[in-house]
Parts: sequence; structure tokens; C-alpha cells
Amino acid sequence: MAKIEFRNVVKRFGAVEVIPDMNLVIEDGEFVALLGPSGCGKSTSLFMLAGIYLPSGGELLFDGHVVNEVEARDRNVGIVFQSYALYPHMSVRDNILFPLRFKKTPRDEALTRVKAAANLVRVEELLDRRPSELSGGQQQRVALARALVKEPQLLLLDEPLSNLDASLRLSMRTEIKSLHAQLGVTTVLVTHDQIEATTMADRIICMRAGQIEQVGTPDDLYLKPSSLFVAGFIGSPPINLVAGKAEGGTITVDGVRFPVEGASGSVTVGLRPEHLRFGNTGFAGRIAQIEPMGREILYVVETGMGALRVLEQGSSAGHSTGEEVRIGFQPENSLVFETAQQKLVAGAHVRAPI
Amino acid sequence: MVARTTVDWDALATRARVARRSRAVVLYAFLIAVSLPIILPYFWLVTIAFSARTGVADTAVLWRSMAVVIPTVVALWLAAALAQSRRQLWMGLTAVAAIAAVAFALLVGPDLHLGNFIFLWEPDFASVVRSRIGEVKGAVQFPNVWHAFGNSILIAGAQTTIVVTVASLAAYYLSRFQFPGRSSMLRSLLVLHAFPVLTLIVPMFLMLYWIGLLDTLSGVIIVLVAFELPFAIFIMKGFFDAVPWDIEMSALTDGASRRQAFVSVVLPQVRNGILAIAVFTFIRGWEEYIFVFTFLIRNSNWTMSLYMYWVRDDVMGVDYGVVSAVGVFYLVPSLILYMGAQRYLMQMSIGGVKG
Ligand SMILES: Nc1ncnc2c1ncn2[C@@H]1O[C@H](COP(=O)(O)OP(=O)(O)OP(=O)(O)O)[C@@H](O)[C@H]1O
Ligand SMILES: [Mg+2]
Repeated sequence: MAKIEFRNVVKRFGAVEVIPDMNLVIEDGEFVALLGPSGCGKSTSLFMLAGIYLPSGGELLFDGHVVNEVEARDRNVGIVFQSYALYPHMSVRDNILFPLRFKKTPRDEALTRVKAAANLVRVEELLDRRPSELSGGQQQRVALARALVKEPQLLLLDEPLSNLDASLRLSMRTEIKSLHAQLGVTTVLVTHDQIEATTMADRIICMRAGQIEQVGTPDDLYLKPSSLFVAGFIGSPPINLVAGKAEGGTITVDGVRFPVEGASGSVTVGLRPEHLRFGNTGFAGRIAQIEPMGREILYVVETGMGALRVLEQGSSAGHSTGEEVRIGFQPENSLVFETAQQKLVAGAHVRAPI
Repeated sequence: MVARTTVDWDALATRARVARRSRAVVLYAFLIAVSLPIILPYFWLVTIAFSARTGVADTAVLWRSMAVVIPTVVALWLAAALAQSRRQLWMGLTAVAAIAAVAFALLVGPDLHLGNFIFLWEPDFASVVRSRIGEVKGAVQFPNVWHAFGNSILIAGAQTTIVVTVASLAAYYLSRFQFPGRSSMLRSLLVLHAFPVLTLIVPMFLMLYWIGLLDTLSGVIIVLVAFELPFAIFIMKGFFDAVPWDIEMSALTDGASRRQAFVSVVLPQVRNGILAIAVFTFIRGWEEYIFVFTFLIRNSNWTMSLYMYWVRDDVMGVDYGVVSAVGVFYLVPSLILYMGAQRYLMQMSIGGVKG
């Protein structure tokens, strides 16, 4: 178990600066998710933790010790790669055994630990197979067992679920989470899937182009996204962002006026689809599309400021495409961003429309 | 509305069937036409080696053996073409082979003998063979054939070991590490292979002479290694490129050093590549003729190709059976090697990592 710290860490590939300046603390035993779009530097950060990439600048600390120069093999880090990276020429048993070979673990003890790790992720029946004879989900478990068998002080998971089908992903999510609860090992999960991050992690580190946009619990990121980027990234279906003008205590959005506190100038208002309701007042529009999502229905409504997504409960709502509707919202849930800075206007507070 | 036209499905199916049949006929005719000229010379070589007698220019046995081989080859392809299942294929091939064996035993069998392999146990076989037709002097002093055989094995083996080792390491480095001059180095690897090596024979001769390696096996080995390496490196680089970075990184985080990761994780992935360059390099060294002919002089340094050359030079007019027997003897190691490695060589195109 270890406490991890990034201090002004920089990573360059040649002239390209992938991570300009990263500062982050991950507490001992914590489960954090590195969340961000493709190419934002998640894997790069992870590989620096693993010791595969050397930071170009700054300091990386494990339990308060600088480990920049410590070799990958001495860091005792377990890592599951996006591709699983199982050794194709070895049986599952030898794959899981591999990390112990270099620790000079006595053969008997090593085999016992392999069994235990295999039991933990339920692949004990597959020990004699080759990786090519396993399904994606089984390979993923084996990779997990191999990462866990050396009892790492840090577990790194690089998009471990992205190759799995939807139902398997759901069950592996639960399993990884309960494994973490059971073992208590500090875990960093890399993902570009916000649902994965919000459901599994204690804290989410939202990244964009090598920069950390926001660090916080899933609730923090959902309820108080610090920027338009985070607001747009967290939540499914995605948040509606509409342009408005704040002047003298009122915001005007598409001709509808709301009282507001603490904001002025050009603003962007974020309205989550689940907070929008059909009603008698509010934005006027026409239903363009209806997408049933099981328990809820997503309506795409054409309005004067573009399409708005509205999520309504129940299937018997009785709306049809082409219908003229009005959309209202619970003002306490709306988010106000400064358009120029793309930052949340702290303390801005919208009330029900006038 | 799209206009509906009536389609004559039966006519279309018939046309496809006819086209498929005629394609198959052309294919098998082609296979027979190309396999006969390849098989026949080897077959004759073997037949002559086991049947020719000193001073007798008898070709009847060759025609008789041809009467067996040509129908056999045609029958084998026909069996392959007509078989509907694996089982039928095997039965067909076995039947053809059995009939061919019986016919061969009847038509050619009585003429077979081992006398032409006299060189295996009689180093001075040239004199013996000549004395059979009354010539007693002028025979070349041949070294023991096993000595030449050993020299060839040594050259081919050493060349293979060096090429495989150096090419693997160099190719791995070229594949994994970025360093100044990398791309021009890769380009020059290919260019090096584009020139006919024979053009360099005079400078090579002078160089070997000056460093004192003329007429030594090591000199030839060095030259052969130098000429074989570029292409071997190029092939191996392709294999290493196909090995994903991930498994190597994974090995590093699993506690392996760079060298351990290379040996225990990367090398097994390129096994087929190593096998391929090993086989090709060995065979290349085994059949090497020009360089050994130029750089080796003493007869104790002869390789099998030189031995073969001098046997042909000296005994051909007297006894071509012995020449053929030497040829068969020279052929056997290549044949064994190919048969042993064939299974892996076939997978070469797949390369890299499966699953
Ligand atoms: N070895 C490298 N050399 C040069 N640039 C690189 C290298 N590795 C990564 N990059 C660049 O660094 C950036 C971040 O890459 P990284 O692999 O960390 O992205 P990621 O967030 O993991 O994306 P994904 O979700 O697609 O895996 C990318 O723009 C990528 O092109
Ligand atoms: Mg990545």
C-alpha cells in the first residue's frame, strides 16, 4: 500500500509536451479514476507511475520517497494493460507465476499464491490453458490475477473493461470494486467512460489535454463541475449547454428570463436532461426525436437555441414527435458558467423563471 | 420502381460450376507441368547414384524409372484433385504410392546397388575407380569426404550461429530504440542486399590476404556472415515489430530486467523468425560455392561443394555414378533440415504473436 504524489510532473515526447504540469495526491488505499478523452495523457501518467516512462521533470513520490529513477521492476506495481498483455507462449499458470519468478519465491509458496490469486478472480479452472484459448473476460481476469499475485503496493488498471461486452463490463465493475474493498490496495483506474469512473472510484481525476481539470468525488463532479469541459464529460445523456446573458440580476436564455445571483455578462447555462420537465412554462420547442431508454425516455426537443435533451420518467408520458411542448426546470439544479473562461461561476444561483 | 427481370438461376449455377471445374483443370495441369521438371532431375540423380556402374553408359534404367515417375506424379495430382475428403485423399495417395513402389521395385529394383558410395569409406576412391577401367595414374588426391563434410558443417553452423545471434540483437535494437541515423541504417540494410556479392570478390580476396585469413575457414565464415547479416536483420526486425510493446512493459513491471524480458517474453514470440533465418542461413552456407572456391585452397580446407566440384572434375568421364552418389550425399543434410523445419517455415508468414 502506498500514498502516491505527483509534484509538478512534466512529460515530453521529443518536442511534444504531453503533460505540462501535474500535481496530484492519491491517498493510501484509495480507489481513484483517471478520466478523460482519448489522447489526454491518461496512459502516459499511468506508465510514469509504473516506471515504464521516466518523467521529464518534477517529482513522483511513493510514500514520500522520490521514485523518479527507480526502475519499473523495483516498484512493486501491478498493472493491467488495455490489451491485457498476457504472455501468449505461456499457460495461464505460468503467466500468473511470472512476477514471482523474479522475486525468488520458493516454488511451493509461489504455486500456492498463484492458486490463491486465480481463486480470487475465479480462473482456477483455466490454469492450463493458453491465453489464446480464453475469452476476453477470462483474459482480463487472468491479467488481474497476474497483477495481484505479487501483492503490489499500487494497482494500475488501464481501461481494463473497454474490450468487454456490456453485461460483462457491468459484472467486472462490481468485481473489481469488491476486490479493492477486500484487498485495500491503492488503485488507479484509467478510463474514458464516465460511468465506469463514477460507479467504481472514490475520487475522479478529470483530465483534458494533459491538464487536470478537476479532482473530486463522483458527486462533486456531477453536482459542481468546475468547468464546462467537466460538465460536458460527466453525465449521461450529456448535459444541455445553452447560451445566455446575465444583466442586473436576471439571465435571459432564449427569451425566457430568470432571476440570478452572482453572475453577469455572457454566460453558459448547464441544464441536465434529468432536471428538465415538460410543463406549461419555460422554453418553447417541438419534439424531434423520442428515444426510449428503459425506465426513462429521452426526448430531443428542437428549440430556438438548438436541440435540448429532456429525460422523463415512465413510458406512458404520451408524447409524440412533432408535438409542441414547453420545457421548465428546477432552478436549483442549473449550473452557470462564464462563457469566456468556461469556468463555473461559484455561488451563482438561478431561481424559477419570472 | 426497379424493373423486374426474370433470372435464370439454373443457367447461372451451371455457368459457375463449369467455370470452377475448368479453373481446377488448368490449375492441376499447371501443377503437373511445373512439378515434373523439378522432381525428375532429383529422381534421376538418386536413381543414377544407386544404379550406374563404372564405365557403363547405360540409360535404359533411367527411361524405365521415368516410366514410373511421370505417371506417379500425374496420378498423385489427380488423386489430390479428385479426392472429396481428407480420408479419400490419404487413401488415394497411399494407393498411388504403393503401386509406384511395386512398379519401381520390378522395373528398376534389380539394377540398384551401393557401390557408387565407395567414397564414404575409401578416400582414394578415384584411383580405385580408374583402375577398374585400366587407368592407373593421374587421379586427384582427395581428402576424406567426412573431413569435407565436417568443414561444411563447421562453416554453415558457425555462420548460422553468428548470424542468428547478431541479427536478433541488432534487429531488436533497431525495432525498439530510437537513435540518430536509425532510418538511414534501415535503408542501407536493404541497399546492401541489392548488389551482386560477386562484384566484391577481388577486394574481399585482398582483404582476407592482408589480414591473414586467406585459406582459412574463419575467413570464409566472416565473409559469409557479412553478406548474410543485412537481410537477416531486416527479416528479424519485421518479426520484432510485430511483438506488442505491452507484453514487454508488462514483463518489466513484473520484475524482469530488460534482458530477462527480452529472453523470456520477446524471444519466444519471434521463434519462427529465428528458425527461418537459421534454416536459410545454414542452407546458404551449406551450398556456398563461389567464396569457398576463391578463398580456400588447401584440400584439407575443402567443403562439400569443393569436394563435389573436384569429384566432378576428376571422375565424371570415368564414372558418373560416383559423381551422382556424392551429389546425393551432399543433398541429404539440406533435405533433413528442410523436412524438420518445414512445419515452422510454413507459419512464417503469420509471424508475431497469435491471440
Ligand atoms: N511514445 C510516444 N511518443 C510520442 N507521443 C506519444 C507517445 N505516447 C503517447 N504520446 C502522445 O501523448 C498523448 C497522450 O497519450 P496517452 O497514451 O497517454 O493517451 P490516453 O489518454 O491514454 O488515450 P487513450 O484513451 O486513447 O488510451 C497523445 O497525444 C499521444 O499521441
Ligand atoms: Mg491509453
